[in-house]
Amino acid sequence: MVSWLNDNVLWLIPAAPLLACLWIVVAGQFLRREKAHQPVVLGLIISWLCALYLLFSVVPSTFEHTAEHADEHAAEVKDVHHEERHAAKGGAVTYYVYDWFSVRGGNEQPTTMTEDQARADAGGMHVRVELRADAMSALMLVMVTTVSLLVAIFASGYMHGDPGYPRFFGALSLFVFSMCMLVLASNFLLLFVFWEAVGLCSYLLIGFWFHKPSAAAAAKKAFVVNRIGDFGLILGIFMIWTTFGTLEFSQIFADPTLIAQVAIAQPEIFTTICLLLFIGAVGKSAQFPLHVWLPDAMEGPTPVSALIHAATMVTAGVYLVARCAPLFMHSPFALQIVAGIGAATALIAAITALTQNDLKRVLAYSTVSQLGYMFMSLGAAGADPEHLMQPAVTYAMFHMFTHAFFKAVLFLSAGSVMHAMGDVIDMRRFSGLRTALPITWITFLAGALALAGFPLLSGFWSKDEILAVLHMAAQSKEHGTYYTVILGVALLTALMTAFYTFRAYLLTFHGPEVFPPEAGHHPHDAPPAMAIPLYILAAAALLIGLATGPTHLYGHYLHHTPGMPSAPAHGPDWLMMMLSTILAIGGIAGAHLVYGSHRGAAGVKDNASPLQKFSFNGLYLDELYIALVVKPLRSLAEVCEMFDRMVIDQIVDGVALIPGIVGSILRPIQNGLVQHYAFVMLLGLAAGMVWMLQSLTGSP
Amino acid sequence: MTAQLESQLVVGAILFVLGAIGFLTRRNLILMMLSAEMMLHGVAVNLTAFGRYHGNASGQVFTIFVLTIAACEAGLALALILGLYQRRKSLDVQLWGNLGEPDLPQMSTEEGGRFAPQHPADMPILTPAGRMPNSPVVPSNTKI
Amino acid sequence: MNSLLEQAPLLAPLALGILAVWMLLPREGNRAWIIAGLCGVSALLWLTKNFLPPTDNVVQTGMFYAFAAGAVLSGVMMITESNPVYAALWFAMVTLSVCGLFLINAAPFLAATTVIVYAGAIVVTFLFVIMLAQQGGATGYDRKAFQPTLASIAGFMLLACLMFTLQEFGGKAIAVEEGEDPRMPRPQFILPPATVMANPLSQPMPRKDKPDQNDLGTLQGVGRSLFGDYLFAVELAGTVLLIATIGTIALAPRRSQGTL
Repeated sequence: MVSWLNDNVLWLIPAAPLLACLWIVVAGQFLRREKAHQPVVLGLIISWLCALYLLFSVVPSTFEHTAEHADEHAAEVKDVHHEERHAAKGGAVTYYVYDWFSVRGGNEQPTTMTEDQARADAGGMHVRVELRADAMSALMLVMVTTVSLLVAIFASGYMHGDPGYPRFFGALSLFVFSMCMLVLASNFLLLFVFWEAVGLCSYLLIGFWFHKPSAAAAAKKAFVVNRIGDFGLILGIFMIWTTFGTLEFSQIFADPTLIAQVAIAQPEIFTTICLLLFIGAVGKSAQFPLHVWLPDAMEGPTPVSALIHAATMVTAGVYLVARCAPLFMHSPFALQIVAGIGAATALIAAITALTQNDLKRVLAYSTVSQLGYMFMSLGAAGADPEHLMQPAVTYAMFHMFTHAFFKAVLFLSAGSVMHAMGDVIDMRRFSGLRTALPITWITFLAGALALAGFPLLSGFWSKDEILAVLHMAAQSKEHGTYYTVILGVALLTALMTAFYTFRAYLLTFHGPEVFPPEAGHHPHDAPPAMAIPLYILAAAALLIGLATGPTHLYGHYLHHTPGMPSAPAHGPDWLMMMLSTILAIGGIAGAHLVYGSHRGAAGVKDNASPLQKFSFNGLYLDELYIALVVKPLRSLAEVCEMFDRMVIDQIVDGVALIPGIVGSILRPIQNGLVQHYAFVMLLGLAAGMVWMLQSLTGSP
Repeated sequence: MTAQLESQLVVGAILFVLGAIGFLTRRNLILMMLSAEMMLHGVAVNLTAFGRYHGNASGQVFTIFVLTIAACEAGLALALILGLYQRRKSLDVQLWGNLGEPDLPQMSTEEGGRFAPQHPADMPILTPAGRMPNSPVVPSNTKI
Repeated sequence: MNSLLEQAPLLAPLALGILAVWMLLPREGNRAWIIAGLCGVSALLWLTKNFLPPTDNVVQTGMFYAFAAGAVLSGVMMITESNPVYAALWFAMVTLSVCGLFLINAAPFLAATTVIVYAGAIVVTFLFVIMLAQQGGATGYDRKAFQPTLASIAGFMLLACLMFTLQEFGGKAIAVEEGEDPRMPRPQFILPPATVMANPLSQPMPRKDKPDQNDLGTLQGVGRSLFGDYLFAVELAGTVLLIATIGTIALAPRRSQGTL
């Protein structure tokens, strides 16, 4: 059993949701429509169990060893061990599915090639569909499957009665499948395929209520904005192929010295590769300036928002950059760009979130902001890649991990509020839900505290470590000033995060009890199918950071990823810890001061001042894009349309006229008069005879 | 004999061409038929001349077959002509141009030339290929 | 153009004759009878000079000229006569003249049959129909020919082709003329009788009553050939006749539809 699992666990993880999806596509539309969630939940449970098994089987022996000795000595031992493992097994398990395609580069190659020959075939391209898991993938998979499973269970209650119930679960399981495959991809091309598949699924799910024009527009926007990023990614992949001659992770990341050589030989190209990959991540992970699709994605059902924001889609960008950390390590400039973009995103999103009236939009902007945090963390390595890359990646991934849980619980409890309030999500129209929805209240509070970075909760640990690594970066000699600014932005964002989170919390759950008319007389709290995932996620939001953060459980596990740069561990940064505690509590207190004693739903003032309007409209970025991009493009499209109509169509019409003209010349023959026909016949006979006589006499 | 044969062939050719010209120009249905018979006469002269030239009876036998077919043709043609005459009360062949393109200028000016096709109101109007129907083909009570 | 000019002796009488027919075709206004007649007669004479040389047998030549002239002139009159009744009668004349030609061609039985079938049956039936349908004589559409010019041109082209064929590949051309390239023998469609393999039963045999004559064209000779060599064709022709009979009955107007 164990050996069978060892062999097959990899393909089981994506296959289970795919089978569930196929079941729904083939039969679920007709059979047991009301129970369409069952195969999906079953598939996700299988995926989740397999992911857990994978987590313990990928790094079996060394894990405990390093967990005990979380110090420099242990790091050295681990490095040695890491090298051995690398030599022996590559530090990753793989499952070969089939050869996708193969283009041979050399001239005199045998028709069938072994794997080694294929690798040696310079200039050729051999892409295999292969699943590959290492420590980073395993952690991602556990996060993805856990959150997806809970979201699916929640959705079985939340979406109950929707006419598109099977469709929803079909798309959801396809989404999870695509994300698992993205994480398990063994080469860049496969990764790109499922990168696109994730985009497609997000399109399907955001536009789930496609009859709503706003939902259809939001889905379209998400898709189009994502395309911009994907364009960068595919260009980056092309350049990787031309530079390295292969797209396999195992070959590219196998030899750090080779990467270093390439980076030294062609620094510009190398930086370009990193930046192009980062553009892909920007699109998918909703970073400035491509973050505009994420708040609009709120048009989808709330479980979808939870899934996109917490587990599946937006984490892909962070995963990509973390996966390519061995490349980014040699391009400090690209890392600085990453940090700058992250900081800008975090700040802009936090400012925007301050004044939103829509509960889900507050959470959406907070997601954007937290993703900015993760990229700040990744970019922090730019100050000193040798030493900072490893903590930077670790803390970005760790923040993503904790963020998945507390953002999922926040979204799901916001969904629970919507469920109770009859799909009203405007915070001005309800308040004081504390007594009416106790489960939702408790779970939302847990998530909000974690997001705000309240001491000892999940968000605290991960955010604190990001601040710590930024602090380290700020102390570097070369780029200290730059990173000091970024650190300042991060601290400011932390304060604002606490403030807007608790503004939303207080407006929703405190104050006089007000229900919108859509809610009916007695709003009901979450049913068990929704409550249980809420409880589990809330508990995770509170505790998972404590369990894996200060114990360095997560970090040390992640270090087993092959190709990950190694660096000495470092102790906790007490200064940053204190600062973030002060900021979190200060933000909460500030929110309490302003909104704590608000006079209910009607008491919230409209955003009157220019600054508030500026924030409410998301810094007018959408308007800016419309003015700068959409309108010129539309004008261009109109010109093209004119060209099409005036020139192309006219040419086509002209060509179409030719048969008409020829026909009008020949048509009088067809006048219906039998004598005329006889005349033509006779003429033809005479002409035939003339021709025959000419050929017989040989003279004209 | 050769000259005799050639002379007969010349006569046959002239008769044939005269018949053809008659068929093309005469508008009376019966005269058209008679012109066609005259073309057959030209052929018959040819056949008997060749038969005489070769000194056997094949040419004459062929002429008998021509005669047979001419008789068939005459019978059928008369039946058709009678039917046509009953419709229009005229033997003018130009009244029967219904298979022509409808919007061509009329070739004949006399007696209205070709009849404009008269369709019963409830019959679907076949449209010439590629052209927009002038009148709605779909009955008005069906929703499109 | 040169080659056309070379053929002027052939083309000129034809053009003249066709011009005569064109002038005589029914049209509005008066027809130039005299000019057309002159043209036609001169064309016929020209043609006679070129193509219809007299033979030694004076009687035969005279008969041939008479019947040929009768057939052609009657034909012209038929297609130019505006009154359909007269036209039908002219057609009867054509038939009779053609029967005369049949007699010259040693086909007395055929001549008799044709007179009976055409003049006796077909023409009379047509005349009945004409008289029933058009009791007023010539109508408007009889008085105006349809596109006479085009029809004349087409007829001229056809006739020119036929005559050219006769001239180039007919019997006259068998003898290689002076200056002609003997290496390029022209195909001849009129072959000497010796090389023709005729059907055996179609060959003439001595008459029983007059052994010094053969039975070519007599009832016996034609019957032997018809029911010997061409039996299947006769059956086919009989079938066609039957079908035509049925078709005619089916097509003919019902009594309920009214008569003419």
